[in-house]
Amino acid sequence: MGRGATLARLLEHPAIWRGRSAAPGQVLSSGFVELDEQLPGKGWPRTGLIEILAARFGSGELSLLLPALAALTCAATARWCVWVAPPLTPFAPALAAGGVALDRVAVVRGARPLWAFEQALGSGACDAVLAWLHQAKSREIRRLQLAAERGRTLGVLFRPRAAARQASPAVLRLGLEALPAGVRIAVLKARGVTRGTIELEWPDGRPLRRG
Amino acid sequence: MAVIRPRPSGPSRRTPVASLPAPLTVSIPAGATDSAGSPAAHRLWMAVQLPEAQELKELQRLALCAQRFTPRVSLELPDAVLLEVRGSLHLFAGVEGMRRALGAECRRLKLQPVLAFAPTPLAALAFARAGKPRAILDVAQLVGQLAPLPLATLRWPEAVLERLERVGVRAIGAALRLPRGGFARRFGAAQLASLDALTGRMPDLRTAVKAPERFRRCCELGCELTSRSAIVAALAPLCAALGRFLTARQSGIMQLECRLTHRHAPPTRCVLRLAAPTADGERLAELLAGRLEALSLPEPVRACELRSGRLLPFAPERRSLWQPGEQGGSAGSEAPGLIERLRAHLGPEAVEGLALLPAHRPECAWAVTGPPPVRANRRAAPESDNAGAARAAPRPLWLLPVPEPLSMRDGLPRHRGALRLLTDPERIESGWWDGRDVARDYYVAVDEDGVRLWVFRERAAPHQWFLHGVFG
Repeated sequence: MGRGATLARLLEHPAIWRGRSAAPGQVLSSGFVELDEQLPGKGWPRTGLIEILAARFGSGELSLLLPALAALTCAATARWCVWVAPPLTPFAPALAAGGVALDRVAVVRGARPLWAFEQALGSGACDAVLAWLHQAKSREIRRLQLAAERGRTLGVLFRPRAAARQASPAVLRLGLEALPAGVRIAVLKARGVTRGTIELEWPDGRPLRRG
Repeated sequence: MAVIRPRPSGPSRRTPVASLPAPLTVSIPAGATDSAGSPAAHRLWMAVQLPEAQELKELQRLALCAQRFTPRVSLELPDAVLLEVRGSLHLFAGVEGMRRALGAECRRLKLQPVLAFAPTPLAALAFARAGKPRAILDVAQLVGQLAPLPLATLRWPEAVLERLERVGVRAIGAALRLPRGGFARRFGAAQLASLDALTGRMPDLRTAVKAPERFRRCCELGCELTSRSAIVAALAPLCAALGRFLTARQSGIMQLECRLTHRHAPPTRCVLRLAAPTADGERLAELLAGRLEALSLPEPVRACELRSGRLLPFAPERRSLWQPGEQGGSAGSEAPGLIERLRAHLGPEAVEGLALLPAHRPECAWAVTGPPPVRANRRAAPESDNAGAARAAPRPLWLLPVPEPLSMRDGLPRHRGALRLLTDPERIESGWWDGRDVARDYYVAVDEDGVRLWVFRERAAPHQWFLHGVFG
């Protein structure tokens, strides 16, 4: 019996659990095949907090989420999609063009974005909550993660790229960097998936003319 | 003058022919203020007859003021209010006292009514309409006093009054002397019933005006309080009482005002507005606590008071077996709660919705609205109408509130370095009808970091470049 076969038999033992095969919860396709391949369970998690760390505002972080938001808000039993403290007001015609049902979108502004984010995550009234926070401590992110599980909500936290150095209890962390016709995505943390980098091209990024 | 004593049990000898029997059983609708069992002798009606027709709102205002005198106030459209005052007459020192008190009330409302008292509502109205401020307290005198009044005071249809005049009947007394059977046949059963109600032969049922209910309760504190948590604790029993009040009436409220009274400073007001009617005292207390936290108090609080808004019909929602968000679950009922909590803490404008407007200029193609209406479920997924149009012309996910001027080098725009234009121009122009005329060529551009931007070039002379959006 070869060494590989021995190892395989050993691993069949029911007491041994392997991280990679950990049964993922419900997932939601991101709409990008290459990204789905890279994500645990082949899609965005339906529940939990994910962090997107973009090198610069506008690196493509929202376009990446748009197909998933469209799928969530157009479902027959869609709950809300709440945007907490976005840097600008999202442009409604572009959201509608991306397939997002605007009657499920609410924008929350105010002095306490962290509190509003946690309330929206834990309320159970939302399918997805997007939040833009400049500073969040690890302990606060842990609270957000628990609130997202309580409310069965997908929380997306957008932070500056510098936050990658800080440890985070989020289920998934992606680093984003814009490319001329797409985006480079680095999986910084994911349950049961090795870290890696993929490059996506925007489906509509057709360079017609070099200026 | 003949004095006639009409009684349901049997008319007196001098009563005109009673060929039609008086009605014996009358069904009494809910809210009626008279009953078949109690003869007119036990009632005293006051008619408040105004000189001209009033709007319903004015009459209702008068009726609400008149509820000071008796709970049995009814409207007589379009220009009179009726009060049943037998029970409360002694509280106002009799008819004259009542007349004085109500007269004062009417002067306050800038009305000059004629006040008449009679045992039946129609008789009181007839006296008041004839301009005679009489007070007939005894049923026995009623018919005698009514007899000389013109029939016009009963406000019968013109045609009927004309026919009666042709046979020489102009006064109420003359009409009462006509034979009942012939009267009903020739002038209508409704007019006979009106005569019966006038003389008290038949009960006249009136629906009482009901004042809208509100909750208002004050709580004097044992000592002056400054701590928010102590004030919240003092408000808790008030909120619980409000919850019981609402539950008992199967109503909910959408507005609640809390007033905190101080020693010198004017009371601090804190108004809570809700997204959907609620009757849950605990939730109201929780929301109020959130609002109080953000409130600045000028002085310690001596008393607190809760005042509810209008009561609204409220049906408690059904609870579903499935949790919201689960397979088979509905969109959930937590959404109003979330909005209210966010609004209570962050201010009423903190939650916004988005809407599309049919306009070609990007600044005008959308609007910020109130939070979207809360619907439990929808039937089908809505189809995005302009998905096709969007594929033809890309739109950025973020639009700057005001276009940002860009610097130029060699006729090309710069934004943290040179921009590269990716697409052919998309021309958007005109808007003369609201004074914000535009003439722009839009491009998708990419900067040195690879961030895609939406830029435009003015078609007018300086050909300035602007940044208008970020694709995100």
